[in-house]
Amino acid sequence: MSGKRVVLVTGVANQWGSRVAASLLADPKYHVIGLDTRPPGVGFEGLDMIEADIRNPLLVELFQSESVHTVCHLKIIEQPHLSESAFDLNVMGTMKVFGACVQAGVSKIVFKSSTAVYGAGPRNSAFLDEQSPMMGSRKNGYTRDLVEIQAFCNGFRRQNPQVNLTILRFPNIIGPTASTPMTRYLSERMVPVLLGFDPIMQLIHEEDVIQSLVYCIKNDYDGDFNIAADGVTPLRKLIALAGKYPIPVLHWFAYWGSSLFSGVGEGGGSLNPYDVDYIRYPWVADTTRMRKIMGYVPEYTCEEALREFASRQRVSQINPDSTRMALDEERLRDTLERRRRSRERNSTIPEGQMEVIDEE
Amino acid sequence: MRNEAGERIRCFALTKAGTQCKNFSLEGSEFCRVHQPSDEGDDILEAEGFETPEDAAGAVEDSMDETAEQDLRRQLLAELDRLIERVQAMTPGYTPPPFSPRRLLKLIAENVENITPEIGLGILEKLRSTIGEDIFDVDTWKGIWYMLNYTLEYQGDILRRRFTGEYETDEWGLDMEVVDAIKPFFDFMYYKYWRVETTGFENIPEEGRALLVANHSGQLPWDGSMLGTAVYNEHPTQRLVRTLYADWFPTVPFISSLLTKTGQALASEDNGTRLLEQEQLVAVFPEGIKGVGKLYKDRYKLARFGRGGFIRMALTTGAPILPVSIVGAEETYISLAKSPLIANLLGLPFFPISLTWPWMGPLGFVPLPTKWYIDIGEPIQMDSYSPDDASNVVLTTQLSDQVRNIIQDMIFLRLAQRKSVLFG
Repeated sequence: MSGKRVVLVTGVANQWGSRVAASLLADPKYHVIGLDTRPPGVGFEGLDMIEADIRNPLLVELFQSESVHTVCHLKIIEQPHLSESAFDLNVMGTMKVFGACVQAGVSKIVFKSSTAVYGAGPRNSAFLDEQSPMMGSRKNGYTRDLVEIQAFCNGFRRQNPQVNLTILRFPNIIGPTASTPMTRYLSERMVPVLLGFDPIMQLIHEEDVIQSLVYCIKNDYDGDFNIAADGVTPLRKLIALAGKYPIPVLHWFAYWGSSLFSGVGEGGGSLNPYDVDYIRYPWVADTTRMRKIMGYVPEYTCEEALREFASRQRVSQINPDSTRMALDEERLRDTLERRRRSRERNSTIPEGQMEVIDEE
Repeated sequence: MRNEAGERIRCFALTKAGTQCKNFSLEGSEFCRVHQPSDEGDDILEAEGFETPEDAAGAVEDSMDETAEQDLRRQLLAELDRLIERVQAMTPGYTPPPFSPRRLLKLIAENVENITPEIGLGILEKLRSTIGEDIFDVDTWKGIWYMLNYTLEYQGDILRRRFTGEYETDEWGLDMEVVDAIKPFFDFMYYKYWRVETTGFENIPEEGRALLVANHSGQLPWDGSMLGTAVYNEHPTQRLVRTLYADWFPTVPFISSLLTKTGQALASEDNGTRLLEQEQLVAVFPEGIKGVGKLYKDRYKLARFGRGGFIRMALTTGAPILPVSIVGAEETYISLAKSPLIANLLGLPFFPISLTWPWMGPLGFVPLPTKWYIDIGEPIQMDSYSPDDASNVVLTTQLSDQVRNIIQDMIFLRLAQRKSVLFG
């Protein structure tokens, strides 16, 4: 492969895999192999596409013959219902990919997880570090699968210390194009909240999700990392900034309703991000390791990510200032501020890490 | 006054016609010779002649004081100009609607309910006395018009901003607007209802980390709110106490969000350590739920002190421990027994049976108006220990017992001096 490092991205057809692959393709130092059951569409010149299921027993041979150096595992179904087929793909699929990596001598795995694995509960500290117990909801398919995968990964690390396993945990992802539990929650004009509860929420912009994954593919960091934007915001402020109306619901009804509607179409999933507990109690992650060990700083702050999201959405009627032009002006101001910060960082960061910043 | 370039700047005041004064300002002042306020300008609104119409009317009759009256008027105008100037500097974009005395009266009539009674009464009385004094002057009215419009605009703004999300919270969820909104209630409980007497404010550092350790009592966590009110109101630097609360409260609607918005945090070692590292003043009640749910016969006997988490917090951060005794809170509810069965059924940590609860329904929540004493003891410095000592179980349990004994002694000392539960 003419000295290029080979990176294999699973789930290259989904929203995360395709963008990580596109970002890596822009860097001539990497040879990118995409693995999915279907190709990611147009505009991926140079992508070495392989159409296969991640549970394929021939995966070991594929990794060996292509001498894969890094596997970025993003083939995860993010669905709210408890489903056996999703569990099979998510948990069993991950085990098979990781197992194949060991067999084939892959030296690095990067995996995208969520801070929802810590769970939302009344006993949560205000800031959960990476060592916090995994109390994620068992009622939501996605969080249950991630908790299972995390349990597997802990054993995997002990047995295979030679493999560099980086797990990035993201809070609610928000952005103009991404489809995530949070963007679906905020998609309607009226957003259900719980009467008398206003937990602190944490966000990350979709662009920063891609950036941080690529950052970890290019640099070696072993271990679990919480990745979240600067700043936190109470749920009601978050909804207000997104230009929506909060509709307070008595929490008993919310639990009752969610148990009634879970598993019925998309409705059960968009009533709240993961589970009723996740809009009742805080589940804010501590990002000290991200700053101190990885040295990574997300481009967007929490409020900037929200404003960017809101400006692409319908114009709110409560706030007379939030006309399209006002939002546009606000967005440009945020963009200028971000670019200024990025320049400042670039001037202080040592040479070796320069490549990572100017991704856009 | 001169600007950076050394040029003399123009006078800051507005003329009677409402335009910017074109005179140059005097040396060392923001105003020209005409608008120069006198030295006692700051207190001019409290000047006696202004408050009582009768006195002022008498003064006008006295021709000797006519020039003094003119002076007072000029000073008043200058003062008003200065106020307007200050407000304009804060909000450059704001211009009030066009002025007419009739419209001003209408505005006042419409909004008397919206502003707090004291302010409303103040404005009305001032207006009344101005008219009585017969110093009806377009400039004065214009000034009042401007100030009133600004106040109302700002007050209406708060409500609007709650809907558009333009308010600030810190990373713990502290929202100072909420704190200001609920403060009057806690002030009433502190000054009028329980007539709390607090000593030892000098022991709380003016800034920097410190850990208040207090006894817990009284079925509902009133004691925490009173300790917070005491320090916020009476400490010289108005410090906000970050109380660590038990993990039952986050499950209760409204209490959960209220605790977050007033900057309190869940009682966990991580939270306490993080707050102390941010140089905050943290309060803990190591007795926890056991202390709150004490029966009346066990009053003022300290319950077991948790597992010494607060000592570890102090050791790792080097924060001094301030023992606090709260006397009077124990008698706010007379808890005779506890019903574990009902508590289990309702999912509560404990269910008290008191003289009034649950027999009298919501009235059972009304606490008795006892007399309270809060004593803040001398700091116990942690300088002689190292952060590694936090893992030394022998040391932490010993220190925990030591702090417990100090607080118990402080309580007994105060109880011995107290003659009556209700009157102190």
